[in-house]
Amino acid sequence: MPKVEVKLWDVERVAETPLSLEELARILETLKCDLEEVRGDTIVYEASHDRPDMFSAEGLGRSVGVYKGSRKPIKYVVEDSPTYLDVSEAPEYRPYAFLAIVENLELDEEAVRQIFQLQEKLHATYCGDRELVSIGLYDLDKVKPPIKYVEVENASYRPLGYENVMSLDEILRTTEKGLKYAHLVRHRRYPLLIDSEGQVLSFPPILNAEDNKVTEETRRAVIDVTGTEPYLMMKMLNVITTSVSERSRNPVIRKVSIKGSSPFPYSPVLEETVVEVGRGHVTSLLGIDPIQVKGPRLLESMGYWIQSLSEDRVVVKVPPYRVDVLSYVDVIEDLAISYGYNELGGEISNPPHFGRINPLERFSEYLREIMLGLGLQEVLNFMLTDPEILALTSEEGFVRVRNPKMKTYSAVRNSLLPTILTSVKTNSSKRRRLEIFEIGDVVRLEENTLPKYAKKLAYGLAGDGYTLTDGLVVLKSLMKTIGASYELRKTSRKLLIEGRAAEILVNGESVGVVGEVSPEVLINLSIYIPTTVAEVDIVKLFSKLST
Amino acid sequence: MRVLESLVLPPRQFRIVKYLGEVREGADVSEVSNSLGFKESDLMRDLAELESKRLIRLEKTLRYLVKTSELGLKYLELGLPEERVLRYLIANNGRARLEELASAGLNEDELRASLGRLRRYGLIKLESGLVFLAEGALSDFLGEVGRVKEILRNHVKPVSYDNLPDWVADLKRRGFVDVDDVKIIKVYPTQDLLKLLSEGRVVEGVLITNLTSEALVTGTWKKAIFKEFDVGVEVPARTPRLRHPYTLFMKYVKEILVEMGFEEVRGPYVESCLWNFDALFVPQYHPSRKETDVYYVDNARAEVKEVDVLERTKKVHTEVWKYCWREDVARMTVLRTHTTPVSLRTIYERGAGEYRVFSFDRVFRPDTPDPTHLMEFHQLEGIIVGRRVTFRELLGFFKELAKRLGMEEVRFKPAYFPFTEPSVEGFVKHPKLGWIEVFPGGMFRPEVLASVALPTDYKVAAWGIGIDRLAMIVLGFDDIRNLYSCDLDVIESTKIPGVILKNA
Repeated sequence: MPKVEVKLWDVERVAETPLSLEELARILETLKCDLEEVRGDTIVYEASHDRPDMFSAEGLGRSVGVYKGSRKPIKYVVEDSPTYLDVSEAPEYRPYAFLAIVENLELDEEAVRQIFQLQEKLHATYCGDRELVSIGLYDLDKVKPPIKYVEVENASYRPLGYENVMSLDEILRTTEKGLKYAHLVRHRRYPLLIDSEGQVLSFPPILNAEDNKVTEETRRAVIDVTGTEPYLMMKMLNVITTSVSERSRNPVIRKVSIKGSSPFPYSPVLEETVVEVGRGHVTSLLGIDPIQVKGPRLLESMGYWIQSLSEDRVVVKVPPYRVDVLSYVDVIEDLAISYGYNELGGEISNPPHFGRINPLERFSEYLREIMLGLGLQEVLNFMLTDPEILALTSEEGFVRVRNPKMKTYSAVRNSLLPTILTSVKTNSSKRRRLEIFEIGDVVRLEENTLPKYAKKLAYGLAGDGYTLTDGLVVLKSLMKTIGASYELRKTSRKLLIEGRAAEILVNGESVGVVGEVSPEVLINLSIYIPTTVAEVDIVKLFSKLST
Repeated sequence: MRVLESLVLPPRQFRIVKYLGEVREGADVSEVSNSLGFKESDLMRDLAELESKRLIRLEKTLRYLVKTSELGLKYLELGLPEERVLRYLIANNGRARLEELASAGLNEDELRASLGRLRRYGLIKLESGLVFLAEGALSDFLGEVGRVKEILRNHVKPVSYDNLPDWVADLKRRGFVDVDDVKIIKVYPTQDLLKLLSEGRVVEGVLITNLTSEALVTGTWKKAIFKEFDVGVEVPARTPRLRHPYTLFMKYVKEILVEMGFEEVRGPYVESCLWNFDALFVPQYHPSRKETDVYYVDNARAEVKEVDVLERTKKVHTEVWKYCWREDVARMTVLRTHTTPVSLRTIYERGAGEYRVFSFDRVFRPDTPDPTHLMEFHQLEGIIVGRRVTFRELLGFFKELAKRLGMEEVRFKPAYFPFTEPSVEGFVKHPKLGWIEVFPGGMFRPEVLASVALPTDYKVAAWGIGIDRLAMIVLGFDDIRNLYSCDLDVIESTKIPGVILKNA
């Protein structure tokens, strides 16, 4: 969730109304923003991912003004422009580019800071850290349209924030942004935005140019988005264009037509979406019709234009910066927010059926009680564990994670025996005798199907004097208590000492294993006390019992 | 202990009352102790107990022991100082210098006192440093000396007095005798005791520390006197074999949900992206699908059998998000990052209907464990499905759940989750921590329900709680890793909180 920093006076300026902090905090909540910090006139809030229009003071001020009624919802008018954008030589792997022009700007230091904050926050979130969309802004009076989006082998220009002219290769090699984003461009197939005289505007998605950057003096700005996802790009262009236009008393937004193949013939496309909301839908989703209680003003205060309102439906126009509104439910949410979540009330109705614990979980609870009754202590462990320990203790395959943060937690346990041994290890330095058990899930790797999970019970008896006999005593007591008859068959496992291990069979099917852990494994795990372990498959045992 | 109307007494008490029954008119403690052969100090506790049982009456009196002092014994041997001065004068022709007398084995005090005494009887005169023998009341003097020595001889062994004789004060002042106060306890049998004794209803009991089965079976317990315990003595504590605190917490929470009519469901840990993301309306380019936020699995393939879900999901993504949706991405395998796929799978399997299900299970997100972060944690997830299920009902559910978890105040704030609209975050008020964020939820989006083909007149209220945070608060842990601890020191030191004990 992006943290946004604004000045109270700047928000007041855009909202066209004075604001108290309490008032702002309350309105921020309706915009899904959380007030985090107030330092003098600086306000820091956390904006929600779905409201990119809240990532700077322009969008916040606009919504606050509309909410308070000091401003009307805006109808954006887009004028034509004489120029065009040529994308006919665009790179194949990053084929899309759109432009927008905003004129009559009146910028100051804070306005410029806010516009760049918006650009940065959009990059970090929606733009997929520039992989999907890259945004740039330039002073239109310092470039000579038409602008071309091209693929080049190399070029040179003075990158933003640098004194010297550099080649594109050099930028990738030496600048901070170049190093960070080099993986997004292909070698010697560099995307470039240039004007009609060949002046570089930007090397997207890496670095813009110093010479035509937006400053406090800029009166006309040209905004570009380039990238791979055209609809997302258009949304971003709409958000930034409408925000920038807030920095003018008489903003003029101009569209730029596109030459070459493009899903849109021109940009920006600032048309309001029309959403029809059935009032029956409102009541059936919320359990109340807020319009009936408080009137349609609830929708207007959230920035919607009401096109028509009748007994059974309300039709609204959604402003183009509201990229989060996809269908009628999004409008209904705004209605609920505007009404106030804490005013909605609400009780839970009587359940349509009885509650029920999963039968296997209930059986596990019973086993847990028996094990406690036998005097063993319950332990718990992570399912994620060290693949080396799994490899050491198990002969079967296990699920591995491709992108672990730590090797210790990069495999999913396929048995509880490794985690029982981990528990013995954790406690063995402090206790000379241990009797522990764990009930938990494991994941088995299977061919060509999603790995299945199984539920297991495992126990460990560790300390001088414990032998297989002790393991068998616990097993016998457990099985006798649940009324399961079982047989033991000699088995050989690399985890267990040869000749001191047995498979547990119920109705001829193997449901588990019991044995003394081999000294090699113990030493390998740095366990220096003899340990007897057993593991039982609860799912199998349960199915045997219920038949 | 009164058994069958007999009075059972411990052996020593029994012998004391028997003795008193015989002497009847009462006896000194010392007499009792001498007669029965017990030490006086041992008797005192028994006497107090017998007195509290109203079997005896104790009468305490003060007496004096007078005994010839060390000095007195010395004078008995050498003669009293004034006697010795007189003897010296007689032996030295009736006169002597003061210095001479001082050298005759008397110290200054003794000499001065002796001269004073002799002069009172008129037996000496002092003249210019010389002491002269004089004609005085010699026989009176000798009589007095004899009387004092007689007393000293009689008190070489201490003699006890109810009241002190007149001479004691003078002899005590002169240091010839020592006087001690002694408390004398006299023991009298009560009428009750005498009655019980005469009826033969006082029985000698056996003092025992532990009741034995033999004592129970043979009936010797009837004569048993239980040794009294000192309850102030520290005893060692036992360490019980306990459930792990987290499984106890789970049981407590699950029971609450079952009481609210929820059925428990479970689902796979290793999941396809289709169920974990795509069917939940999360676009494939969404940041929550990045490798930094999801554990991807390479060595297991997610077999996606639900082709209809795949097709419908593709349609929704293509139409609403308008991007090139890729089936191979949807078929990628992950460790589930939330339990919402379990809820969605349930809707897919059960379809239209009125039901409530929950799951309490583990989910995984890449992280490095520290006191507040884990790469594996629990989610408490649930859905309410039905024709008349509304957002208000979801809020009502949160309020009810909070109440049952022991928290009264709930507040709601708008929130955002990709798969719900409206979305909400519920906060509860904790007495120490203030408002804490605990209940995220919302109404499943129509796009999500379209993926699993739930008829459009059905609504789903969904919620997914990061329950470990609540577990930490309830169990009083400030390190989240303790929830998954196999360290017996941690497990055994966990206090089971009252909220669980009251509600569980």
